[in-house]
Amino acid sequence: MIVIDKLCYQSGLRYVNATEKFVYAMFSLLLCVLSRSVWAPLLVFTANGILTVKKGGIPLFRYIKLLLIPAGFLLVGTAAILVNISKTPLDAFAFPVGTWYITGSRASVLWGGLLCVRALAAVTCLYFLSLNTTMTDILGVLAKLHLPPLVIELMMLVYRFIFVLLETASAIMVSQESRLGNRTFGSGIRAFGGMTASLFILALRKSGALYDAMESRCYDGRIRVLPQENPAKTEEMIMIGAFEIVLAALAFLV
Amino acid sequence: MPKKEKILLRASIAFAALFAIAPVSNAMHIMEGYLPAGYCVAWGVICLPFLIAGFISLRNKVNENRRNLTLIAMSGAFIFVISSLKIPSVTGSCSHMTGTGLGAILFGPSAVSILGIIVLIFQAVLLAHGGLTTLGANTFSMAVAGPLVAFGVYRLCGKLKMNRRFGIFLAAFLGDLFTYCVTSIQLALAYPSESGGVLASTVKFLGVFAPTQLPLAVIEGILTVVIVIGLETYAVPELRSLGFPGGKKEVK
Repeated sequence: MIVIDKLCYQSGLRYVNATEKFVYAMFSLLLCVLSRSVWAPLLVFTANGILTVKKGGIPLFRYIKLLLIPAGFLLVGTAAILVNISKTPLDAFAFPVGTWYITGSRASVLWGGLLCVRALAAVTCLYFLSLNTTMTDILGVLAKLHLPPLVIELMMLVYRFIFVLLETASAIMVSQESRLGNRTFGSGIRAFGGMTASLFILALRKSGALYDAMESRCYDGRIRVLPQENPAKTEEMIMIGAFEIVLAALAFLV
Repeated sequence: MPKKEKILLRASIAFAALFAIAPVSNAMHIMEGYLPAGYCVAWGVICLPFLIAGFISLRNKVNENRRNLTLIAMSGAFIFVISSLKIPSVTGSCSHMTGTGLGAILFGPSAVSILGIIVLIFQAVLLAHGGLTTLGANTFSMAVAGPLVAFGVYRLCGKLKMNRRFGIFLAAFLGDLFTYCVTSIQLALAYPSESGGVLASTVKFLGVFAPTQLPLAVIEGILTVVIVIGLETYAVPELRSLGFPGGKKEVK
């Protein structure tokens, strides 16, 4: 139902130690955002592409399609940064509109290009994490980072409920669609509102039932689950360390 | 100069065509890696007091009654699900609700801050809406500022004895609009314009996002009203258990 979640369970890198993947993704992400040159993001973009598609076995077409999700924002946002409307033309391009100019400077064009590359590389870091690590593994890493247990528990429950509710919602939406519920805009709005209202009622009822079930199994305020341990490999850690050092050098020195 | 005009025309056509290809995610999430590191940290720090307040209120609620834990988790999942479903819209592009207004009205602004950040983390990881570095900025605009305004407007309309439904519409509509303004200001602060500084840049960002955000805010308002009407018709006991003020009024 959620493509990314489905893909991460099939990933070839799924059983690699989660902390390793988390540390790699976070450091690369950080260095991408901090980088002043275009080379560090380009390296991250390539490395993540190879890791996710080649090693992880995520279909290339899917990967490209996923990369296009934030493209709309990137496009609109960068356009707003590049284009200025002023009375004096700037050096890169200038189109007169009446007495004003739609214009941009060379510096801002370069800056916009760097920004795009940086943002796309950062997105590949996010995808590396989410396409190769299951959510429960990520929560395990967050627990190791000493996030309050209440928040971790809440996130675990939310994660579980998302699928329960999505299933219910899509069943309702299919039946609405088959009864021509979305024929016009007005009926579509009404259908969506009705679906949400009944989803809310079902959600509350399910949460009550779940609590009863948990309590009957001796729930005492903590949900204890045994995590599956995939030990970290020394050579992988060395490779990650070396990669990050090269990346840092590219980010700050070039 | 016809040549330059031709270039301009071509550029604008390419721009529009890219729009058609790219699956535009209309919710105002700042994408991963789009903000400089300093701003990411700063917005995170600004969110911190709200998140701590939210966490304390959450802990108290759970300590008061354990049953609240599953209820709160379900509410979080509910906000995620309604914000991930495509809604019918005039333009035909896929647009999503933000759910901030509905969340604030149903659960109150303090609970929504912590639910909001959890939902935003899941949106980033599972849907690639928003990101981990921009989590702070997105939390501030979508889980703190928007819900606060929505809740304030909702309460104010209640005090002024305005039509309830219109009040709910206004709350969701203005909450959405405010989220969009805050995001534009966040972007403008990070990327001030060369001619005119932050203010000019804010106007630019408001301008480019307006075509998608304004209709969306109206739709969000209408949908929130429809949903609340549905809830008041079918879910009075459930609403009362949440302490929703409107739940009692509608009982005849």
